[in-house]
Amino acid sequence: MKKLWNTFSNGIINENPVLRLVIGMCAPLAVTTAVVNGFWMGIAVIFVLTASNALVSLLRKVVPAEIRIPIFIVVIATFTTVADLTLKAIQPEIHAKLGVFVPLIVVNCIILARAEAFASKNNLIQSVADGLGMALGFTLSLLILASIRELLGNGTWWGFNVLPASFEPAVVMILPPGAFVTLGYLLSGLNLITGKSGDN
Amino acid sequence: MANKDILSGEGKLLVSSSPHIRAQETVDWLMWQVVIALLPAVIVSIYFFGFRSFYLILLGTLAAVITEAAIEKAMGKDITIKDGSAVVTGLLLAFNLPATAPWWLVIIGSVFAIAVVKQTFGGLGYNFINPALTARAFLLAAWPQYVAGNFPLPLDTVTGATPLAVLKGTAAGTLPTYGDLFWGNVGGVLGETSAVALLAGGLYLIYLEVIDWRTPLSFICTVAAFTWVFGGSGGLFTGDPLFHVLAGGLILGAFFMATDYVTSPVTPLGRVVFGVGCGLITVLIRLWGDYPEGVSYSILLMNLLVPFIERWTAPRVYGMQPMQG
Amino acid sequence: MNYLAIIISGVLINNYIFSRFLGLCPFWGVSKQVETATGMSLAVVFVMTMASAVTWVLNRYLLEPFGLDYMQTIAFILVIATLVQFVEMVILKVSPVLYQALGIYLPLITTNCAVLGVALLNITENYNFLESIVNGAASAIGWSLAIVLFAGIRERLAFAPIAPSMRGFPIALVATGLMSIAFFGFQGLFRGILF
Repeated sequence: MKKLWNTFSNGIINENPVLRLVIGMCAPLAVTTAVVNGFWMGIAVIFVLTASNALVSLLRKVVPAEIRIPIFIVVIATFTTVADLTLKAIQPEIHAKLGVFVPLIVVNCIILARAEAFASKNNLIQSVADGLGMALGFTLSLLILASIRELLGNGTWWGFNVLPASFEPAVVMILPPGAFVTLGYLLSGLNLITGKSGDN
Repeated sequence: MANKDILSGEGKLLVSSSPHIRAQETVDWLMWQVVIALLPAVIVSIYFFGFRSFYLILLGTLAAVITEAAIEKAMGKDITIKDGSAVVTGLLLAFNLPATAPWWLVIIGSVFAIAVVKQTFGGLGYNFINPALTARAFLLAAWPQYVAGNFPLPLDTVTGATPLAVLKGTAAGTLPTYGDLFWGNVGGVLGETSAVALLAGGLYLIYLEVIDWRTPLSFICTVAAFTWVFGGSGGLFTGDPLFHVLAGGLILGAFFMATDYVTSPVTPLGRVVFGVGCGLITVLIRLWGDYPEGVSYSILLMNLLVPFIERWTAPRVYGMQPMQG
Repeated sequence: MNYLAIIISGVLINNYIFSRFLGLCPFWGVSKQVETATGMSLAVVFVMTMASAVTWVLNRYLLEPFGLDYMQTIAFILVIATLVQFVEMVILKVSPVLYQALGIYLPLITTNCAVLGVALLNITENYNFLESIVNGAASAIGWSLAIVLFAGIRERLAFAPIAPSMRGFPIALVATGLMSIAFFGFQGLFRGILF
């Protein structure tokens, strides 16, 4: 049980894909103009990552090693398509705003990396815990980034006015420079807290 | 003169092996000369735009200096505010904002310029892009309503369009005379309007060899040539080059911002290339872009090309070894 | 003039890095030196142009007639993966020199979301065959411009006394942000003339 918890929490804290490993950055930067967009992107990734980890784990003993990567890609692409079409049906407006980034979940490095590094070597329950943890970590970082950007750039949180009327939103925060600069300082702040430092 | 070392590239600020100790006095001297050269424009700005101009310029400068000192203290570095570079950045940032700018806009701009663009990258000598202009472009993207649009007209309480906006047809108004443009009796940001005050300062810096004449000359000539060819409504060669040179921020940018030591090339040929490039992009934006003025973006975009301009124009000895990252 | 509009939009105005957020992993991963960034750029231009052509044909003559539009993502990613393998083999056969230069970058391109991104965007934008190819090449050239410029700056950053907590990804992100501010200058270029 403790091992299961460790597997699960690893993706949220120690190896948070966005804030610690810094991989698969396109969607986190692109869709965090509003918290609600980040939330639905997170839901889509939770579904795809957990489902693909589960299936890859089940298939791990039958898939020949030489063709495992193409098989993983097909598995991930199938679940991505399911997520894409489902989101289009239940949240058409959000789906339109997320645009190309929902189908692009298929090339998000995190998902293939977890299939290859974890699910293809571990049992079903462990793999589901890993996928769920990683995806929740991904979602959490999207929500943090989107909260900062929407608050400063639009004066709202999840569309609600939460700042005094005298606050004048800095539109640049929901534009590309706001995304890059905010995430840069966010990562730096985390490095300060954890005492870790990068290299040039 | 000691400053010739710097200009010839021998004491290039970017060289990481401690150029600062020996050159420190020289850097201070250079920067304070720039401040002196900007004073005529400060005085004209206060004359035309009133006390508000003085207040915003002072606020921008103070905010830049305090930010620099605070960050250096927090990071345990030597405090370098005496070198005058933060003063120049604060001054130039305020120069690029209109008199209607709210006080907090100037402070946010100065903090962004010093904290994000300069100190994050290692402080003086290491920023790859012009701090004051990047901060100005940041403010324009964040609060366009305060940075672009209608500016206060000089000696007056009403607001109106800048000469370039009128020329472009994006705003209504009458085109000013060359005389008004020359003396600075036109709408615009605080420091850009008076051609004569800026020229006086610029020529002073060229006379002292603080800046190289190549960059402003090639920048201004390129703008003049291309606006003459493409800038007219009656076909090719019907543009008004004098208007394009005097209006907007060209003279301010060409003499005081395209010549920034840290973010422009050190080689003589590189400086010409840099000036011509700035001129081309300025004309591109003025004639066919969204904004009426392109000087600040042209300098920022050319800043990004500096590593390549230096590679291509430097003597073979330096800059050619691939650096290990 | 439509092609010119696609080119200027792809290279400058809607740059894949500074405005569309596509292809960021290799952008930060292979930009430590100008030489490697240039090599990667060549490979990306090559693959994105080819992928635009192949996926357009696949969509028009296979997916659309049979009502298989929903298979786009799966079909495109498989085709791109195959294409990259194929290109790698052809280059190895035809020009070992070029293979030496590009070989190590090619496998990285399959997971470059700019490639699948351009394939999908060509369809959303309703581009015809030639427009898709031009868009693929222009977007890739814009991506290349960004990575090569960034590599030039990054070589200088390597020597700067940057705070330990800012080193690595944080400084790369902030630098990219400042570059994207400069690229705002191209906004609305030729509006009313080409667009």
